[in-house]
Amino acid sequence: MTWHVDAEDLRAYAQGELAPPALWSADTHLVACAQCREVLASVGDPVDAGWERLDAELDAPRPGLFEGLLMRLGVADHTARLLAATPVLRRSWLGAVVAVLLMSIAAAHTTAAAPSPTLFLALAPLLPLAGVALSYGPALDPTYEMAVVAPMHGFKLLMVRTVAVLAAALGLSGLATLALPGYGLGALAWLLPALALTSTGLVLTARLGPVLAPSLVGGAWVALLLAAHAYDASDTLVPFTAAGQGVAAAVAALAGGLLFLVRDRFDRFQSVRFQGDAV
Amino acid sequence: MTPTVSASGLSLRFGGTQALDDVSLRLTSGVTGLLGPNGAGKTTLLRVLATAVPADRGAFTVLGYDPATAAGRQEVRRELGYLPQTPGFHPDFTAFEFVDYVAILKELTDRGARHREVRRVLDEVDLADVRGKRIKKLSGGMRQRVALAAALVGDPGFLVLDEPTVGLDPEQRMRFRELIAHAGEGRTVLLSTHQTEDVAMLCHRVLVMAGGRIRFDGTPAELTARAAGRVWSSTERDPGAKAGWRTGTGSFRNVGSPPDGAELLEPTLEDGYLLTLDDAGAEVAAA
Repeated sequence: MTWHVDAEDLRAYAQGELAPPALWSADTHLVACAQCREVLASVGDPVDAGWERLDAELDAPRPGLFEGLLMRLGVADHTARLLAATPVLRRSWLGAVVAVLLMSIAAAHTTAAAPSPTLFLALAPLLPLAGVALSYGPALDPTYEMAVVAPMHGFKLLMVRTVAVLAAALGLSGLATLALPGYGLGALAWLLPALALTSTGLVLTARLGPVLAPSLVGGAWVALLLAAHAYDASDTLVPFTAAGQGVAAAVAALAGGLLFLVRDRFDRFQSVRFQGDAV
Repeated sequence: MTPTVSASGLSLRFGGTQALDDVSLRLTSGVTGLLGPNGAGKTTLLRVLATAVPADRGAFTVLGYDPATAAGRQEVRRELGYLPQTPGFHPDFTAFEFVDYVAILKELTDRGARHREVRRVLDEVDLADVRGKRIKKLSGGMRQRVALAAALVGDPGFLVLDEPTVGLDPEQRMRFRELIAHAGEGRTVLLSTHQTEDVAMLCHRVLVMAGGRIRFDGTPAELTARAAGRVWSSTERDPGAKAGWRTGTGSFRNVGSPPDGAELLEPTLEDGYLLTLDDAGAEVAAA
């Protein structure tokens, strides 16, 4: 052995107070190091707890890449596991998001004379809306039925997943924005509509369910853009002007407040029957 | 004995279906079987009692907590273990990771304590050897045991099992029955099933549902006794029988109202169940 677990860490380990990733290192090391196990055995009364913890950790699987990354960023291990189980935070979905963004950036560069990257601004707000819709509900979350009857409030789980999707989608869209430096701050005009669409979709989900609500919101967004384009195709579309951004911010704030008011609706099944199952 | 679950007048309608119609029941410690045909309302009743779906009318308590309020509902859920009819899994999770995930939903946030609990329940369902195996690589019986382990996290006082033996081969079914019997020691278990053998082997009490109503509430022996004197043997299918089928011996086993002088047979739980459903059908037709 070229190193040994620090005595303070061993004491914290025995008392159940050592946090990851130091905890994982100690777990792994103790399995192989008799000297450290002896030290652990000598640190006092809580040693039984330490041995019990070691025993329990021996066959606890190591967190996956994404989960481990979250924990290294300071996310609590239980929250990281909830996030890792978010259905859309998988390579396939993230790959699709990247593909959409790359295509819209390419389109913006081919029409460099346009006053704003319209296709990019139009598509970017739909990504978190779709991501959140695909992260919660009976259709796509395989553990939905078990999650609904768990003590953790359904709204809390929804928010954990929403934050995860927003972080991923907004982060990727933000990176994509950097690829459009010629448009200045105008290239960020997708952000407030993205928040408005996502929060409105969530509010309506409480009433209309996790499929119809985001579909309607997405459809309304597309209809709005088409109407704005028909009204004036030559300039920046209205939703991406200063006035449009103000409206988007107001809608996002209003929907956020309404979402909080209807939070208990997420504590029950979104419909009495689902998946065509039995009565 | 103080009931774990006490419900009165539960009714729920969706679309044109009266899924629950004035259901009242009291559940005590041990395994209670819930029998009924497809569409009887079993799954809906389980979902209402599991606090997943609110009833239109009626009320119930679990261990004294009223799930009509948000606080009461959370207390009920802390005492609840729920195995749905088709438990879903994150297929890339291992058995340990999946049960760990459910344990987090059950508010076990301390990593060490949670992992000890995950190990305990996986040991309890005899899956210690496959803790690290991905769920998508487990057999159907093992997956069902993983779901049962998840339901047992936190040592719940009220366990709701929705047709847990469906799709299992006879050996797996027998193994699962052992686990349910063990789980029923010291806690209240409500077991929905199509299998009368499950009820005969496991349950101290049985409820029969049809058309959203409880049609029978008693012991398995009492349900069996309903068919006493109403099962007979014949060389041809008796046209007056409610149900009749050729047995392995070549003779017909008939259930219903036997003709005079018929050779009566010892009734089974299934006979009692069939006659109860038939009586319920006649009641609905008359109404």
